[in-house]
Amino acid sequence: MLDFFAIFSKGGIVLWCFQGAGVTESFGGPVNALIRSVILQERSGNNSFTHNALSLKYKLDNEFELVFVVGFQKILTLTYVDKFIDDVQLHFRDRYKNELEQRGALKFLLNNFEFGDDFHILLREAEGSSKAKAPVSMRTFNESQKSQKTVKSMIETKDGDKSKEQVGKKSKNAKKEGEKSGGDQAKAAAQTASKKAVETGNGGLTQEEIIERNRAKFFSKQLGGAKPEKSSKSPKPQKPKGKMNRVWDMGGKRIAELDYSGTNGDNSSDAQNQDPDATAEPLIQVDSMKGDLRGVDYESSDDDDDEDEEVQEEDRVVVANTNKKGGKKGGFGGMFGMLKGLVGSKNLTQEDMEPVLDKMRDHLIAKNVAAEIASQLCNSVAKKLEGKVMGTFTTVASTVKQALQDSLVQILQPKRRVDILRDVLEARSQRKPFVITFCGVNGVGKSTNLAKISYWLIENGFTVLIAACDTFRAGAVEQLRTHQRRLNSLHPPEKHGGQPTVQLFEKGYGKDAAGIAMEAIAFARNQGFDVVLIDTAGRMQDNAPLMTALAKLIAVNTPDLVLFVGEALVGNEAVDQLVKFNQALADHSKTDKPRLIDGIVLTKFDTIDDKVGAAISMTYITGQPIVFVGTGQTYSDLRSLNARAVVSALMKA
Amino acid sequence: MENEKIHVDLEDFSEEQFMESFMREIQSEEAVFILGILVALALVILTVVFFGNFWGSSKARNAVLLLGLCDSGKTLLFTRLLLGKFVRTQTSITENSTTYKSKNDRGSSWTLIDVPGHESLRVQIVEKYKAVARAIVFVVDSSIFQKDVRDVAEFLYSILTDNVVAKNAPTLVVACNKQDISMAKSAKLIQQQLEKELNTLRMTRSAALSSQDGAVGGSVYLGKKGKDFEFSQLPNRVEFIECSALGSKGEDGDADIHALENCLAKI
Repeated sequence: MLDFFAIFSKGGIVLWCFQGAGVTESFGGPVNALIRSVILQERSGNNSFTHNALSLKYKLDNEFELVFVVGFQKILTLTYVDKFIDDVQLHFRDRYKNELEQRGALKFLLNNFEFGDDFHILLREAEGSSKAKAPVSMRTFNESQKSQKTVKSMIETKDGDKSKEQVGKKSKNAKKEGEKSGGDQAKAAAQTASKKAVETGNGGLTQEEIIERNRAKFFSKQLGGAKPEKSSKSPKPQKPKGKMNRVWDMGGKRIAELDYSGTNGDNSSDAQNQDPDATAEPLIQVDSMKGDLRGVDYESSDDDDDEDEEVQEEDRVVVANTNKKGGKKGGFGGMFGMLKGLVGSKNLTQEDMEPVLDKMRDHLIAKNVAAEIASQLCNSVAKKLEGKVMGTFTTVASTVKQALQDSLVQILQPKRRVDILRDVLEARSQRKPFVITFCGVNGVGKSTNLAKISYWLIENGFTVLIAACDTFRAGAVEQLRTHQRRLNSLHPPEKHGGQPTVQLFEKGYGKDAAGIAMEAIAFARNQGFDVVLIDTAGRMQDNAPLMTALAKLIAVNTPDLVLFVGEALVGNEAVDQLVKFNQALADHSKTDKPRLIDGIVLTKFDTIDDKVGAAISMTYITGQPIVFVGTGQTYSDLRSLNARAVVSALMKA
Repeated sequence: MENEKIHVDLEDFSEEQFMESFMREIQSEEAVFILGILVALALVILTVVFFGNFWGSSKARNAVLLLGLCDSGKTLLFTRLLLGKFVRTQTSITENSTTYKSKNDRGSSWTLIDVPGHESLRVQIVEKYKAVARAIVFVVDSSIFQKDVRDVAEFLYSILTDNVVAKNAPTLVVACNKQDISMAKSAKLIQQQLEKELNTLRMTRSAALSSQDGAVGGSVYLGKKGKDFEFSQLPNRVEFIECSALGSKGEDGDADIHALENCLAKI
């Protein structure tokens, strides 16, 4: 019934494999997909994975660096597979213990692992045991326990309702004699259980007596509290005096000052004018953003220590609670284990790692990693370390921390090449514009970071067309126009061969965003722009019509890069946002390879000190890299992600 | 007798100025004795220095790294080089490392390390081993090279511009693997394409150097400014060879890796 079973080393060498009868395709593809999406993305918490029609289950052996994978058809529900893998693993280890304990990678190559016979024996056993259980037949009423009880013993102590219920029960019993006695059994059991709970909770009082007691308490409280109530009543009638007129500062007196039309905004003839404000552009060095973006700097300041201490105290309170649970074990055995750990031949078990992992999970959550991501990560690290032999003089805590750090760096490393400049050059050589779309919820910084990215692009010598597809928010088009004017004043057209480096494509408000985007891309292709940046309106992930509209924009225009803009302040909400955005994009695209989010822009990074967990949450959920990091509101506040700095900030106590 | 005197006197020196009395003692001794002491000291120093060098060189670079993108054939090449036999392979999660006896006359042996090609792993593992790399074998999948040229070039660029690697200048062997597939590109073509791609990357990546200081990573400029990039401009010794880890006869036959083995013998 199994399609295949493979045993291979973590270094990639297949030690033994079995392919089921009639299975033509090799298992290499599905197993590679399993490795890439599960093990390498630290999702090894749950050990099953589906790939097309196959369902794969796997087990890691961390002591000898082996992976056991079994694959079977998804439609079959084989119940023996989990136990089967465990059995195979134990058997394989026992049989080849000597060979596997050698050092170096040659052990996998030199030895022949002839496991076929044992495997078939184990498989037959497993299949046999799963068939052995016959379906349980239901007991008849006479066999059940209920028929043994007297009706009186099942009476609950409540009056009034009870007599009715009694009657009801009797009639029910009469009806259901031949039928599902099992169901009644369960209900009766539940009722007796709840009755027992009520009894034990109240020391044997009946329901009515409890109510009487509570009422008495309430009245005594009322009598005692009557006096303050009366005194609070007396000032009330004094409050409503006459109504006084509210005085506004600018109360309609200086209308001329309130008239803001004409100084900013809607003059379309203004496109070529340079504002006097724009030339007084403080603090922006032209040509400072050439080339690749700098990585995010991480400096720790002393002011943060106070905040850290407060956070640590909270951590300690939480940790103390969890430690109480774990403290019961250990004692003498724990000391021996510690000594053994120092010598270095100790295997890591789940119990050893649990207190450390709980502490790390709380630490991660304190650093703003989403709660379910933190727990999935910790489970995955536990799976990776289970059974591993610790080195000499290493403690469990240090091993776990190191493993967690490695997996965090692994998550933050991009899974594909991230080089926007190179891709833009490629698109330019093919004479078509490189289209980037920005999407996200309201207020995360899409327009600001769009302006920063266009500044970076024009610093590197590309021409940019900004498409104002935010046709909903008031002032969105004007905002982009202001950015366009400032950018043009920083890089005047005269220096770049007469053509303005940044242009805005807008069609006003209220129109269809997807249509504007299409026209913008056609315009860019005609005029020879290198990059098109599409700004969309912010929308909540629950808003179905808006998500449909966004999905339509992306499906129709097929941009080269779909960037999700998320702020670093977001916590657990990041998971929800990204999942729903991806879901919407997948649902409403008509092709079978939908365009999903390709990259993430992490904004407002300067507002979080070292609570950088949002980066982890977002990358973990989508598996896509963080392409840009926004660290402020001026044009030069754009960085690329520095994985090591972020992880060290995250692991810092 | 004289030795005993010295010891006794030294014990009394706790009160007097140690140096003055020491100098007096030395001057009062015979020249031969002083010479003997000095020679002994010199010998000790020489031995320490000698062993220090020896230690240093044994810790120094004696590893050959097998790098490349995912699915380029590194693990199979690893097994072929070691044992000559064929094994099925999957995507590597950890590195494989073992000692390799090269087939040259000297019979020197060094460590062969097969680094996983997956993007999330390769950076960390390269960090671990880059300091001890004497040579780098960069494995390229020749059949899908056209599609992957940018990824290959980016990986190669990040290795070559790494500070440690640029300083040590290990030998670079670009092994154009999978030559058994008919669509495979030749080594010459791959070399030309890589040079063009690295030329472009040079411009986009290193334009940042002039304006920023303290840039993290890659402050190395490949080749010569003003001229198009060529591999001959690098301080490392670069060779392009063709090979096929699978071999023309598939699983049962030998692999076509003689050129690679000869290259490795020269390291």
